[in-house]
Amino acid sequence: MADDTSAAAGTSTETGAGTESNLRTTKPGTKRLFLTVSVLISFLLGAPFLLKSTEIHRSPLPSAAISSLSDHLHSNPPSFPCHFQAIFLSPFKPSDSSLSLSVAERIRAQLSAQSCGNCNFTVSVTVDSGSSCRHEGDAASAACLWECGGGGLVDAIEGRDDQGIDELLLSAVNGRTGGCAGRVYSIFVIEGRDERVVIGKHRHAWMVLKDLDDSTSVVSMIGTVFGDYFMRGGVEKGEYIPVGSDGNVVLSFSLLNSNPSDWIYDWDFQRTGEVLLAPVLEALAPVANITMESQVLYHAPKSSISYWDEKLEAYVVNTRDLPFFVNSNEWHLDTSLSASGRSKVLQFVVYVPSASECPLYIRTPEGEMSKTNAFISPMWGGVAIWNPPGCSMQSQGIHIVRDVLPPQELEKIIEIFIGQLRLLFGLNSNYVEPSPKFKVLASEKGFTNWELDLLYRQHTCFNLLSSLSTLQSLSTLVESLPRMIVMDEIGKQVELSLEAANLAESNISLGINNASALSSIRARALAEDAFFHPSIMSISYSSMEHYFAIYMPFFAPVSLHVLLAAVKEVKRYFAERSKYLTFRASKLKSS
Amino acid sequence: MGLFEKPKSIWSILNSRPITFYTSSFPLEKVGSSFFHGERFTSRPLTGEGAMASHTFLSLLLFYFYTFHLVHPIHCSVGSNAFDTTSAPQEEFSEELLLKPLPDYKVLAHFHFTSTSPPSSSNGQHHHLFPKSIAQLVKKYKIRELELSFTQGRWNYDRWGASDPLSTANGKPPGVELWALFDIPTKEEIDATWRNLTHSLSGLFCASINFLESSTSYSAPLWGFLPNNGDLRYGALPREAVCTENITPWLKLLPCRDKAGIASLLDRPSIYRGHYHSQRLKLRSDGLNGIVIEQTLSVVLQPIDRTSWSMHQLFKKSLMGKCALAKSSKVFLEIERSLVSQNENILELVGEADMVTNDQRDHSTIYQYNVERYSEHEALDIRVNWKKLLQVSFLQTPLHASRFLMGSGNERGSIAISLQSARNSTKGLYDNSKNCFTRVVIFQVVPWYVKVYYHTLRIYVDGAIRDAKDVVEKINVTPSEDKVSPGTLEMMLQFPCGMMSAALTLDFDKGFLHIDEYPPDANQGFDIPSALVSFPDFISRRIYPDSISSPLLQSYKGRNIVKSYTEVLLVPLTTPDFSMPYNVITFTCTVLALYFGSMVNVLRRRVSEEERLAKSKDKRKPGLIPLLISKISNKVRGIKEDSANQSQSSQPILGPKVVFKVVLIALIAVLGHYFFNSS
Repeated sequence: MADDTSAAAGTSTETGAGTESNLRTTKPGTKRLFLTVSVLISFLLGAPFLLKSTEIHRSPLPSAAISSLSDHLHSNPPSFPCHFQAIFLSPFKPSDSSLSLSVAERIRAQLSAQSCGNCNFTVSVTVDSGSSCRHEGDAASAACLWECGGGGLVDAIEGRDDQGIDELLLSAVNGRTGGCAGRVYSIFVIEGRDERVVIGKHRHAWMVLKDLDDSTSVVSMIGTVFGDYFMRGGVEKGEYIPVGSDGNVVLSFSLLNSNPSDWIYDWDFQRTGEVLLAPVLEALAPVANITMESQVLYHAPKSSISYWDEKLEAYVVNTRDLPFFVNSNEWHLDTSLSASGRSKVLQFVVYVPSASECPLYIRTPEGEMSKTNAFISPMWGGVAIWNPPGCSMQSQGIHIVRDVLPPQELEKIIEIFIGQLRLLFGLNSNYVEPSPKFKVLASEKGFTNWELDLLYRQHTCFNLLSSLSTLQSLSTLVESLPRMIVMDEIGKQVELSLEAANLAESNISLGINNASALSSIRARALAEDAFFHPSIMSISYSSMEHYFAIYMPFFAPVSLHVLLAAVKEVKRYFAERSKYLTFRASKLKSS
Repeated sequence: MGLFEKPKSIWSILNSRPITFYTSSFPLEKVGSSFFHGERFTSRPLTGEGAMASHTFLSLLLFYFYTFHLVHPIHCSVGSNAFDTTSAPQEEFSEELLLKPLPDYKVLAHFHFTSTSPPSSSNGQHHHLFPKSIAQLVKKYKIRELELSFTQGRWNYDRWGASDPLSTANGKPPGVELWALFDIPTKEEIDATWRNLTHSLSGLFCASINFLESSTSYSAPLWGFLPNNGDLRYGALPREAVCTENITPWLKLLPCRDKAGIASLLDRPSIYRGHYHSQRLKLRSDGLNGIVIEQTLSVVLQPIDRTSWSMHQLFKKSLMGKCALAKSSKVFLEIERSLVSQNENILELVGEADMVTNDQRDHSTIYQYNVERYSEHEALDIRVNWKKLLQVSFLQTPLHASRFLMGSGNERGSIAISLQSARNSTKGLYDNSKNCFTRVVIFQVVPWYVKVYYHTLRIYVDGAIRDAKDVVEKINVTPSEDKVSPGTLEMMLQFPCGMMSAALTLDFDKGFLHIDEYPPDANQGFDIPSALVSFPDFISRRIYPDSISSPLLQSYKGRNIVKSYTEVLLVPLTTPDFSMPYNVITFTCTVLALYFGSMVNVLRRRVSEEERLAKSKDKRKPGLIPLLISKISNKVRGIKEDSANQSQSSQPILGPKVVFKVVLIALIAVLGHYFFNSS
């Protein structure tokens, strides 16, 4: 319709037809140019709307906050407020005025910088002997300091055994300090004849020294007790805590009869085991919610090779063969059904060897036999070998022995298991004292209070770090896959987890232990939930190829048309305009 | 995907809740109680005399051992006396194998393992023999009863027997069947527990039982399957394949697995070569008996030599002693009376049995072998020789049930269940008097996409259509709800005893599924699970003398109702072209692009100017194509001038020579064609 007018105006029908087409008398029309360009522009303008409408729903993740908190935690790991106090119950004149500072110095010197679960400690020294009462050093509050008046303790200690002293000092500590944010660890220094250092079951230790004048040795002793034991538990690293992300642990005890045609042993785990293990589980309750179960399995041979050792008159497994000891084909230990969700199952296995490999011992690399005849595998559990009595005498018997594991033997095995549990939790199974004067009291609960504090700190710290590393890997994953659907639920979980992590961190610095542990567990559980959310699998259903397959059949041919038309029209417009311009110029010249 | 939106079923609009109406005066309680007694009886432990007898037997054995091994200082004992440190009941395990020659010269091997755990607060926590995982399952999901079966092949009710306890209890529908009774009060909780249970079981048994999780795949029958108070859930997966990955976890539940004892006979290639293979786990839990699990495996094997077979030939393995943990370990050979009654010398046994007994009604003879007597040096091998080949059949069900589809096309069809009287085998039960009726219970679950119109139920008795009121005693229909629940039909019918045949038909429409809901092999069709036809008036039981203490034979004593499963039906549904969405997109987009392109061109192009330009170009120089043609022809001519021996055919210009040659060849071809055709 527009053809008649614009074509007549735009083309040089009359003039160009005869002689030359590079001359034009009229101005080139802009209607078609406007039309094609406007179509192109409307397409360009529409593109963002199209992209917006076909956008995949992605809940925004607070990746900046995650990485900043993670950086913050890595650069300075959360440290828990602790207070160390040395109480001199005997008259003591420090040579230099700042004894507490030198103790702190001493502790710091041994502190490895980046380990998780360390104390942010304060040190104070109190001299409380008879009439004199002197405080020195810094404490978070006066409540953390020892209240003087414990002069009678020195006499009371005389003639008591270690257990008695421990209980006595516990009541004294409870009576004279309290209301302090964070834990208070005390060491009592007494002048006496037989020198000794004893670390109690609770949060205190005591030293009996002949001579208090040598202040450097006193400082070094106090520093060792505080730094190596109360703060680090005498171990270098405790990276993994075998606790499920929901805070549950299942201890699964199995008695494995290697070959029931030789002998069959049963056990009364329910009676003996539960009695022995109940206090341990109770003690660990703040760290993890532990349940236990037991079973007896048969036809479960080990898979590593043992060989006869003439000297020991026994079959021997070398330490380097231990990784193959656990026979996952035949040991149907089963992950427990009652362990719901993401609980951790720790396997404890008593292995009864068959007649062809009895007695069976583990040989250490030094060539000695293992004392406990047991080993652990971190994060999996432990194995103890139990050789039936008189099994070496037993030759090929046609009949079958059926017996019950003697309760005394079972008690021994469970003691080994408690040691293994301590190892699995990152503590020493038992302390090797550097000198006979040094003693660490063991708790009948398996874990002393200060060890539990340590686990508690490490566990909280570990949870916090692992939740942040999970969150960070989730956010990198989401960023690297632009077509991945991220549900609102995941976003919410990530936010809540981050919130809980922040809360835990602030609670740690304030010294609110329970709250920090709870929120750190929550942070980890939420982070794991977000990471293992089933909807993350839906990534394959909205791939880039799918997107192209749907939109290409329309947009490829259409964009070709639009682009070509625009290019042609613009070209033509400029060509015609130059013709017109030359015509005008020639006209001007001629006129 | 509006195309796939299917019309709602009339029944589901009418009523989404179960409809129950009774047409006869038979109350539910009566039927229920008879079922219930049957259950109770089987679950009872060993009776006094039986246990006593076994003890005297054991003490004899004990004596035998002591005479030889008194020199050994270590306490030696056998069987149940082992853990006698406490008086509390212990967890027990027993293993049995029953071999039964079938009339068509096949052999049925029925493995039966029983584990019991006495009621205790530590169930699910501390176990010695009993599988911990099962106890935890029972405890976690509060299961009262559960049965899970994996079956491949179909039990041949005609030839292998239908009304003896073994076939009644072990004939199972193909694929996976799972039912469970829960000890949970509310319906919602039961459904949630069922869902969790299916997931746990699928993890335990390496099978896709978790497909029974969706509410479209399980149903809650009230009395058609087993009388209950609404706490039963039933689901079946007819297409589940059964193989070694399912038997390995099943064996894991046995204390000796397949390392020793009777289970060591389970040579995988031999047992999977069979004609029928059914692996079952049945558990019962109550406060009185604790948890009892029965693990059975029934295989029907074809011996290589039809006239003579032995255990070793069947299984390719030898039975060398019992599982050391089993309280009892026995192998039975059951010979049906009908096999030997006609001619005493038809069958010959090699191997000395420890005990031979008949059941009370003299239906069969049991030969018992105690595995304890055998060892590595002397393996147990039972050999059976047939002296004469003959065709007999075992006890049949009163009515032989089969199910099939009628109709054609992808729109509608009908399901028919036909019941044929098997009168010759159960003669005594029938007379033509008017007061005699046979009751038949039919239980059938139909997936929602097969929309059954239950009002179209037609019943034919001896070929004549009968009013439903006369035949149906009671009926319970739960219509299917689209994508929510399957349709369930429970129906109790009573037929006159003299009836020869009956048939039931139900019409259905085939529904449409959403494109996402089709399985990968949608064109294969969809399976409707087997229907269960049971005969509450007929009870299969065999009572053996109490001198045999065996959990397997004990279960024979129970009042098992005679029942049989029908075939699985394969319904072909309309399957869409799965690439259709993309085709539609591509096609529409092409049309739109064409339209758009032409519109843009119409608006933009100047026709008169282009024509003028074309004309002026013609004047100046020839077009592109004529130019090309002239170039090529020049080239060809140039080459021809250069090389004379170039083939003539490359000459593009039609010279007279070429024309002549083409005509000549065409002529030869026509003539040749004509010549060959005429000859």
